[in-house]
Amino acid sequence: MTDDLDRLQRAFRAIALDDAADAERAARRIEPALLAEMRARRSPERPRSISRIVGLAMAAALVGGLAAPVWIVTRGARPPRAEAPNVAAPPVEITTSFLPLAYSAMPLTDARVVRLEVPRTALAAFGLTPIDAVETTRTGTVLADVLVGDDGLARAVRFVRAARAPGVTP
Amino acid sequence: MDDSRLLERIRQGDENAFAELFARHRAAVFRYAAHMGGAGAADDIVQEVFLALLRQLSHYDASRGSVGAYLLGITRRQVFKRSAAAPPPPLDDDGDSTSALESPDGNPFDDLSRAETVERVRAAIATLPAAYREAVVLCELNELDYATAAAVMDCPVGTVRSRLHRARALLSAKLAAIRPGAVTVHD
Repeated sequence: MTDDLDRLQRAFRAIALDDAADAERAARRIEPALLAEMRARRSPERPRSISRIVGLAMAAALVGGLAAPVWIVTRGARPPRAEAPNVAAPPVEITTSFLPLAYSAMPLTDARVVRLEVPRTALAAFGLTPIDAVETTRTGTVLADVLVGDDGLARAVRFVRAARAPGVTP
Repeated sequence: MDDSRLLERIRQGDENAFAELFARHRAAVFRYAAHMGGAGAADDIVQEVFLALLRQLSHYDASRGSVGAYLLGITRRQVFKRSAAAPPPPLDDDGDSTSALESPDGNPFDDLSRAETVERVRAAIATLPAAYREAVVLCELNELDYATAAAVMDCPVGTVRSRLHRARALLSAKLAAIRPGAVTVHD
């Protein structure tokens, strides 16, 4: 029985060595990818465009007067679409600047904008006075674009109204 | 330089430190991945384990075990996540069921050349119940001590000992079963 175990042990050692050789072969493929990941993680380029855009939006919101009881109309924030001439132009939207929310300081690598209907009272929470320029929906809510990070936390919000027709100033 | 120091340097962006840590532990991680998750998945599992390390550098707690055990713990989770199965179910570690598994008369290795023996043992390991196989991979192939293996397997040290004992008995029995007249001798 001891002899059995000795041979078994020798077989274990041989298998371990074979596996180490296989691991070394695998490492040649894997290691460059891991080092690339390591470089990417410490690269200053990581917080790229979206966080920069968010930062600019937040700065704009703060500088633009968080407490101002007026709307800051940012007409033309969206580039005009190059539609076919015979297609009706989409309605122009009038928006506030992005206003920072509670998690605005948290870093993010990616984000998306989600459009929601929020209570009209949300405007007051941002120091905005609901005036005629703000158009409520039939249910008494207003439209808001919420900037949501890839972690699911909302970073900023802007309020939206749709103009009645392109080129119409409210 | 010990592993903890290497981890510190990796946190500071030292690629050489990462290469050194990878070289030290890749074989153990690969072995576990290959024997527990399948040879075809081993490369991907190894990559996932070290990527997880890079992403969670601050998660390692030296007071809870070695870097090697930490990496094998990640490997274990990766393997079971991929197989969509729970970790090896607890086996009857207290019963005396090994007697039926002891080798019959004669030496099961006598008729096998060394290379054949290695391949037979490898194949036999693959057929072991996962909990026994895990004990063999950690203690025999990776040469971990019982305490470290127990930490990786998340079970008492006594359980590791009994699983290993039964695994050896099962392997001997499996090899004995294929001996009679089934093997060509190459000496």
